[in-house]
Amino acid sequence: MDLHTKLKILGAAAKYDVSCSSSGSSRKNTNGGLGNASLPGICHSWSDDGRCISLLKVLLSNCCVYNCLYCVNRAASDTPRATFTPDQIAQLTVNFYKRNYIEGLFLSSAVYKNPDYTMELMLSTVIKLRKEYCFNGYIHVKAIPGADPLLIDETGKYVDRMSVNIELPSNQGLKLLAPQKNKDSIIKPMEFIYNRILQTREEKKLFRSTPSFAPAGQTTQLIVGATMDHDLKILHLSESLYKRFSLKRVYYSAYVPVTRHPSLPIIANPPLLREHRLYQADWLLRFYGFTAGELLDEKHPNLDTELDPKSSWALRNLDLFPVEVNTADYEALVRVPGIGVKSAKRIITARKHHMIDYETLKRFGVVVKRARHFITCRGKYYGERNTGGTDLRYLLIPGTVRKNKTTTPGEQLTLQALYPHAFTGIDIFTTITGEM
Amino acid sequence: MIYYIYDGSFEGMLTAVYESYIRHECPEKILKGDCLQDNLFVEYVFIDTDEQKAKTLYDAVKKKISPGAVKCILYAYLSEDKEAGTAVYQYLKLGWKMGKQVDSAIAHPWVFQIHTLYNKVRGEAGRMLGLIRFNLLRNGIYYASIEPDHNILSIIAHHFKQRMPRQDWIIHDVKRDLAAVCHDHQCIIIPFEFDGPLPLDQQEIDYQSLWKEYFKDIAIKSRINPKLQRQNMPLRYWKHLVEKPGAAKYFYPK
Repeated sequence: MDLHTKLKILGAAAKYDVSCSSSGSSRKNTNGGLGNASLPGICHSWSDDGRCISLLKVLLSNCCVYNCLYCVNRAASDTPRATFTPDQIAQLTVNFYKRNYIEGLFLSSAVYKNPDYTMELMLSTVIKLRKEYCFNGYIHVKAIPGADPLLIDETGKYVDRMSVNIELPSNQGLKLLAPQKNKDSIIKPMEFIYNRILQTREEKKLFRSTPSFAPAGQTTQLIVGATMDHDLKILHLSESLYKRFSLKRVYYSAYVPVTRHPSLPIIANPPLLREHRLYQADWLLRFYGFTAGELLDEKHPNLDTELDPKSSWALRNLDLFPVEVNTADYEALVRVPGIGVKSAKRIITARKHHMIDYETLKRFGVVVKRARHFITCRGKYYGERNTGGTDLRYLLIPGTVRKNKTTTPGEQLTLQALYPHAFTGIDIFTTITGEM
Repeated sequence: MIYYIYDGSFEGMLTAVYESYIRHECPEKILKGDCLQDNLFVEYVFIDTDEQKAKTLYDAVKKKISPGAVKCILYAYLSEDKEAGTAVYQYLKLGWKMGKQVDSAIAHPWVFQIHTLYNKVRGEAGRMLGLIRFNLLRNGIYYASIEPDHNILSIIAHHFKQRMPRQDWIIHDVKRDLAAVCHDHQCIIIPFEFDGPLPLDQQEIDYQSLWKEYFKDIAIKSRINPKLQRQNMPLRYWKHLVEKPGAAKYFYPK
């Protein structure tokens, strides 16, 4: 099988892995080798679905012994199979990298023969890249659940980021759709990686020469919409992952139906809007100081699809608003719909010099269309007055016109309207052409 | 009303600002020589570039305002914006009064304008780090052509020098006829003109087709979203991308 066919099969098979970021590591270029890692990460292209391509995302192999129902590569599925040799992957990565197509490698794999064997193959690929090809670019490797911790430990020394996919947010979901996996087999490697990262960080303080261990941390991914789990459960899970394992990111991927099975839901389109709302809520957890319990509760376990999570939180907590932009502290500012991290920081910096007026807010990137209902600026309120929660909700939903208008449309007074009898059709016609 | 006109170089712009202090004049605008319009009420003063004066001002900005301010005015210059000279002049005027505090007074219109220019240039430079595509030529040189909005060549060259120390490469700014050329750990920016078909290496064609196929396969069909793609990767950059062949026709209708 030639390289083109292999890349076709194994590249396409990796597309459902969401993570493609290349951030968090500042690996240096050493010994005149090839490449380095950029701390904020660099996107190299954007594919036709609008997602960024930063890493060469491939599977080592798509021959799987597992039979997870939602997966294209499950054992029972009838898809073409291929397996890369470590050298092929290394050559592809290095040559793409030299042409600046990619920022590094994202290596995942189906479980080929058994978890240990797969992990060993992945490890040898990574070692080849780092040692033989002197490659210092970014490498993200999936830890295979069930692989020997020693192998995971060894891999972590060479890569920048590791991740273990949770895939389904609950144990029942796993039992239903991925019977060979269970919660423990996923959480264990995560915990192991977390402990190793912590340990390396402590050792680095004592000995600078300590070899790094996954300096860009670990991430995970879960599928949204394949099981009945609601958003509250997903957000609670993410929140605890961020807290307990200091995960860098939790990725959500809208369930794309690739196979048919009675246990799988039948949907026409992937739930993209729900995925988008989950990402918004995830950002609120990580950068805006929100907790999952604030955004959702047992009564409303799912995120509002019409309105972004911050706006709907603000509508439920109208008693906290309006806040004065010139005095409110940072934590209160970022909770205002329409004010983000960047604009809040700008406000804080600028108001050290003088008071901020409404026009300046616009220049700072505040979305005043939303924010004006929740702030005062120099004591003045710019929002709609005398509105209740429901009215405000209509104003905030993008693209809707306020429905219950009370005023009748006005009409301009004209001579014609006052004395309709005096104007005949011909008269009007002639005045238009200017000939009497 | 006085307009100062400089020759378009960074030193020229600094000299113009410096001259305004010596001559005790307050120029309304500081403009590049190539964007003049006849105006009855304006007196045009042509400034001769003086590297010594430019250096003096440069050091003063670094010492009395901040190293960050130096970066700000350099990037504002690289933006090639028509108003850049005037903005720098006004920004420095405020800078002498406020010292290093000036960069936190972002509500001030001139400071905000300088920061906007700075962010535009920095943003494009950052984006270009990803969007450059090298072509391996028969003589072993990696060649890339770009057409950025701002003159960012000098900013991005350093990144590639660090990243590919053993590789000989040329990044060619087609719009400005400039190129960053790197050979044997040495990197310079020179005037450069090249037009015509590239003498591609045989191996190069194979890797380009591998990349194109990979690019096509990685997209999930049920999530196709061209609007998002163009938002992240504006059409004007597509012309020089390997994975978007013939994209020029989108950009130049007819």
